[in-house]
Amino acid sequence: MKQIVPLHINGDIHEVAIEPGATLLRVLREHLGLIGTKRGCDSGGCGCCTVHLDGKAVYSCMTFALQVAGRKITTIEGLSPDGRLNRLQDAFVEAGAVQCGYCTCGMIMAAQQLLDVTQTPTEEEIRRAIAGNLCRCTGYHKIVAAIKLASAP
Amino acid sequence: MALPKLREFITPADAQGVLNALRNYQDRALIVAGGTFLHGLESRGLLTHVEALIDIQRLGLDYLESGKDGLKLGATALFADLETMPEIRNDPWLGAIKDALVFPPVQVKNAATIGGSVAASCPFFDVPISFMCLDGVVKCRGSSGMRDIPMQEFFTGLFANAMENGEFMVELAIPRPRTRSASAFMKVETNANDLAILNAAVRIDVDESGTCSDARVIAGGGVGETPIRLSDAEQVLVRQRLTPEICARAGLSAKGSVNPISDHRASAAYRSEMTRVMVNRALRQALDRLRQ
Ligand SMILES: Cc1cc2nc3c(=O)[nH]c(=O)nc-3n(C[C@H](O)[C@H](O)[C@H](O)COP(=O)(O)OP(=O)(O)OC[C@H]3O[C@@H](n4cnc5c(N)ncnc54)[C@H](O)[C@@H]3O)c2cc1C
Ligand code: FES
Ligand code: FES
Repeated sequence: MKQIVPLHINGDIHEVAIEPGATLLRVLREHLGLIGTKRGCDSGGCGCCTVHLDGKAVYSCMTFALQVAGRKITTIEGLSPDGRLNRLQDAFVEAGAVQCGYCTCGMIMAAQQLLDVTQTPTEEEIRRAIAGNLCRCTGYHKIVAAIKLASAP
Repeated sequence: MALPKLREFITPADAQGVLNALRNYQDRALIVAGGTFLHGLESRGLLTHVEALIDIQRLGLDYLESGKDGLKLGATALFADLETMPEIRNDPWLGAIKDALVFPPVQVKNAATIGGSVAASCPFFDVPISFMCLDGVVKCRGSSGMRDIPMQEFFTGLFANAMENGEFMVELAIPRPRTRSASAFMKVETNANDLAILNAAVRIDVDESGTCSDARVIAGGGVGETPIRLSDAEQVLVRQRLTPEICARAGLSAKGSVNPISDHRASAAYRSEMTRVMVNRALRQALDRLRQ
């Protein structure tokens, strides 16, 4: 039985008819066309589906859409509402932290939460913050460099 | 996630609503808290019968309280919130919880709940054995009222526990120790998103003369279908003045009491040896905390 619920995403409210078992990831990509959030493992192992729920990074593939009705959801699209990249996104470009790009949106969402609470994180804190995100291309060095760049005073 | 028989997602506003839904659907209902282990259950083919998901996150069970008797941790309180409790960060007796919370990735800490970690009854999890070494008590609610289940009696098999059909967990209580006490947790893992190869949680209590008055040694992560309390290792510690040599002897005893599994993560022999190493190191860590 589908339920129609309001989802608060990137400042907009979407009324969506949702099947009981649908994950937030599926609703974002298939119902709302917000395909910046990527589907990798679909089972909590890779991090590329990371979004913010009330400002905290979560795996959208492990979140039931019906559980988050009414709560504040931010996706990668929400970091650049006027079409201009934010500081962290710019730093990823500048540091060359993107190769195939599949992990990038999730990495940025995980790193953004860190920067939201810690202005100048240590390398250890950066590596912990992205420990739930896999990258198969970069070897992580440039990703860590990008996050440092974005947090430099 | 494939839940082929799923018909309904229920979001009760109170505990009675949960009990009603559990009664209506019997064993065809599944409680959802953080939802982070549902893939784990589904991929093992354990959710094919589920017709209703019951979300318990709107019952107000996300409290974390500390009083003179100990901690009262609501079943839907998040790992991320538990981690920021000042007592968890600073107090030696709660060191095992602090240690265990280092491991899950941020995205899991922001969703996983205390109740879900315990109720999942997965022998490879870390956080539950840190509760177990502190003599945590599961408070569950059913149609005939509340019931207490000590954590050391809670796990009855792989993904199985002592809660009855129709009951659900509402709180974990952790008693405050009466004497000086410290605890610690250690783990061997492959990477941040994998389950433990082996883990150990220990607690030591000492009296005024510095003699060990009580101890807990728990091992998990492939030592069996449930985490195991290693009483023989505990007996090596009790009534002794704790030294690194005694810790090493307890580690050796722990190794002798487990009969681990072999799987794609590690062989039984490696797990046995790691039981010795991790119990010894966790005891040394707890001992250091006691001296702080
Ligand atoms: C990528 C990843 C990494 C992880 N790393 C670690 C780690 O390093 N250390 C560690 O300890 N754990 C780790 N975990 C496991 C994690 O701790 C558990 O998945 C989590 O604690 C489960 O809690 P939840 O609230 O998400 O439960 P859910 O997934 O919602 O539920 C799990 C089970 O418990 C039942 N349940 C939940 N709450 C209740 C209740 N109140 N009463 C009765 N039944 C209930 C559900 O019906 C279900 O069977 C990891 C998980 C993932 C996905
Ligand atoms: S798609 Fe969600 S963690 Fe991989
Ligand atoms: S850039 Fe390809 S996976 Fe990270």
